[in-house]
Amino acid sequence: MGQKKFKWSNLYLIFVFIVLYLPILYLIFYSFNEGGTMNSFTGFTWEYYQAVFADKRLISIVLNTLLVALLSSLLATIIGTLGAIGIHYVKKRQTRNTLMSFNNVLMVSPDVIIGASFLIMFTFVGFKLGFASVLLSHIAFSIPIVVLMVLPKLQEMNPSMITAARDLGANNLQVLSKIILPSITPGILAGYFMAFTYSLDDFAVTFFVTGNGFSTLSVEIYSRARQGVSLEINALSAIMFLFALILVVGYYFIQQYNMTKKQKSRERERAKVVDLL
Amino acid sequence: MTGNAIIEFNHVKKQYDDNVILKDIDLEIERGKFYTLLGPSGCGKTTILNLVAGFTEATEGTITLNGKKVNDIPPNQRTVNTVFQDYALFPHMNVFENVAFGLRIKKMNKNVIKEKVAEVLKMVQLSGYEERGISEMSGGQRQRVAIARALVNEPDVLLLDEPLSALDLKLRTDMQYELRELQQRLGITFIFVTHDQEEALAMSDIIFVMKEGEIVQSGTPVDIYDEPINRYVADFIGESNIVKGTMIQDYEVSFVGHTFECVDAGMRPNEKVEVVLRPEDLVLTSVEKGKLTVQVDTQLFRGVHYEIIGYDRDGNEWMVHSTKKAKVGSEVGLYFEPEDIHVMRFGESEQEFDARLESYEEE
Ligand SMILES: Nc1ncnc2c1ncn2[C@@H]1O[C@H](COP(=O)(O)OP(=O)(O)OP(=O)(O)O)[C@@H](O)[C@H]1O
Ligand SMILES: [Mg+2]
Repeated sequence: MGQKKFKWSNLYLIFVFIVLYLPILYLIFYSFNEGGTMNSFTGFTWEYYQAVFADKRLISIVLNTLLVALLSSLLATIIGTLGAIGIHYVKKRQTRNTLMSFNNVLMVSPDVIIGASFLIMFTFVGFKLGFASVLLSHIAFSIPIVVLMVLPKLQEMNPSMITAARDLGANNLQVLSKIILPSITPGILAGYFMAFTYSLDDFAVTFFVTGNGFSTLSVEIYSRARQGVSLEINALSAIMFLFALILVVGYYFIQQYNMTKKQKSRERERAKVVDLL
Repeated sequence: MTGNAIIEFNHVKKQYDDNVILKDIDLEIERGKFYTLLGPSGCGKTTILNLVAGFTEATEGTITLNGKKVNDIPPNQRTVNTVFQDYALFPHMNVFENVAFGLRIKKMNKNVIKEKVAEVLKMVQLSGYEERGISEMSGGQRQRVAIARALVNEPDVLLLDEPLSALDLKLRTDMQYELRELQQRLGITFIFVTHDQEEALAMSDIIFVMKEGEIVQSGTPVDIYDEPINRYVADFIGESNIVKGTMIQDYEVSFVGHTFECVDAGMRPNEKVEVVLRPEDLVLTSVEKGKLTVQVDTQLFRGVHYEIIGYDRDGNEWMVHSTKKAKVGSEVGLYFEPEDIHVMRFGESEQEFDARLESYEEE
C-alpha cells in the first residue's frame, strides 16, 4: 500500500516537471529546425545559432543586460543590507513596523506602476533615458527584495553576541564587519541572487525607462517577437537556458566542495583529539 | 577609598522609565576575590553586572573601576570581561577564532595570539578543539569556551552571569570546583551571579544577598549562613527553623515557653525577636535530655541524612537533619548548644547589625 502511494507521488512530480519544462524544451527543439517555423520539424541546422553570434546588436544587448543585472544587484545588495540593519536597529517598534510596511508595499506593487512612476520622475527632472535610468530603476526595485531577504537573518541573530563583541573590545564598525555581516551572509547572498534574477528578467519597468539607444534582452525579444518570431530568438533562449543550467550545476559543486572541506577539517581535528587521549 | 578596592559603587541607582530596578547600591569589590551576587530572579543581579561592564548606564551615583570613574566609559574600553548567561559565542567562527576575537581586535601579533589561545584552552581543558564549530560542542564545553574567550584578554575583573545554570547537576558541581580553582590560580577578581544558594556558599569569598534591587546582607559564606540578618536571608540561605521569641536580656532569649542561654547581645531587654535554629544543629535525643520536645510527624531519607519534621506543643514546626532514624509518631527531645541559637531583630539594617555584633564581640 505504502509503496503504491509512493509511486503516485512520484508520478505527480514527474507530471509537474513535464508541464514546467515542456514549453522550454519545445522552444529549444525548434531552435534547430531548418524549416524556419515552429510548426513542423523539417531538418537539423545550426543556422540560427550562427545568426545569434553574428548579430552584433544582440550580443551587445546581452552584455548590457548582464552589466545592468550585475551592477544593479550589487548596489542594491549594499544599500538593502545597510537599510535592513538600519530598520532592525530602530528602537521604537512603531517606526520599525512602518518602515517595514513601506518596504513591503514596494514589493507587492505592480511593476507597471513602478515603471510608469519612474518614467514620470525621470522626465520631470529632465534625466536622459538610457543605461543610467535603467540601472537606477533596477537598483530601486531590487532594494526591497534584498531587505526582505536580509531582515529575517538579523532577527535570527542572538543579540547578546553583539554585547559580547563590544565586551571583548570591538567598536561599532568591528561589530558590523566581524559579527553582524558574517551572521547574515546567507541572507545577503540570497538577496543578491534574487536581485540579479529579478533584474535579468525584468520587462515592465525596463520597458518604461529605456531610451532609444539602450535596450535589454527582454525588451528586445519583445519588440522582435512583435515583428514575427524568428527562430534566432529560440536559439538565444536555448543558450540562456544552458547558461542558467551551468550556473545551477556550478553552484551545486561549490556547495559540495565546501561541505567536504568542512568534513575533512573535522576529521583531521578528530584525529588530533584521539592522539591527545 | 581603600587601596585594594577594584570596583566601587557609590549610591548607585538604576531605573528604566519609572521602574526602579536598583535602589541606592553601595558596594566595594576587592582585588583577587571571588564575589557572588545571590538573589531570586528579577532582583537586579544582571543589572549590576551590566553596570560594571558598561552595557547600561547608572541613573544616579558613581561607579569606579581601578579608582577611576567609569560611568561614561563604553564597554570596549573597560578592563572587564563577561561570561554571558547564554554564552553568546559566535556561531560563524570556530573555537579558536572565538577565543582569539578579543586579541585580534587588539591587533596582536599572530604568533602571540596562537600562543595565548593555546594556553587558555589548555587551562579550560579544551586543547585540541581549536577547529571545532560551536554547534559541535556540548553545553559544558561551550561554557568553557566562553570562559576562555573572556579570560584570554586578562581582564581585571571577570563577570559571570549564571554560567552554570544550563548544566546538569553532575557537570555543574564539577564546574564549580574548576571555576573556583581557576580563580584562585589566576588571582583575577570574579563576580559571579547565581540564584542557587548552595553554589554561592560553595564557591565564594564574599556573598552579596540581594532582594528587590537592594543588597540585604554581605559577608563570607560562613557569616551569612551562621548569622543571617533577617528572616529573608535565613530562608534564602539554607534550611532553617524560625520561631518568634523575646530577648530577656543579653545572652538570654526565650522562645516556645522556655528561656535559653545564647551568644547574642546588644538588644533592648524584652525586645521581640526572631530565633533561627539550623536543622543540622538540632540533635535527636531522649525527651529527658532534650531542651525541646517534639512529636515526629514525617521522615524523609535524603541520602546523607534523614530529614525529620516534628511539631512541638505550641504547634511550631521543627526540621531536623539527623543521621539517626526516628520513629514517626513518637516523642523525641531536641538538644542544641547556646552557639546554635541565632537571634535576629526586626528591621535591623546591615550597618546596625554589623555595629551591634562588633560592640559585644570585642568584649
Ligand atoms: N532593558 C530593560 N528595560 C526595562 N526593564 C528591564 C530591562 N532590563 C531589565 N529590566 C528589569 O529589571 C529587573 C531586574 O532585571 P535583572 O536582569 O537584573 O534580573 P536578574 O536578577 O538578573 O534576574 P534573573 O535571575 O532572572 O536573571 C527585572 O524586573 C527586569 O524586568
Ligand atoms: Mg540575570
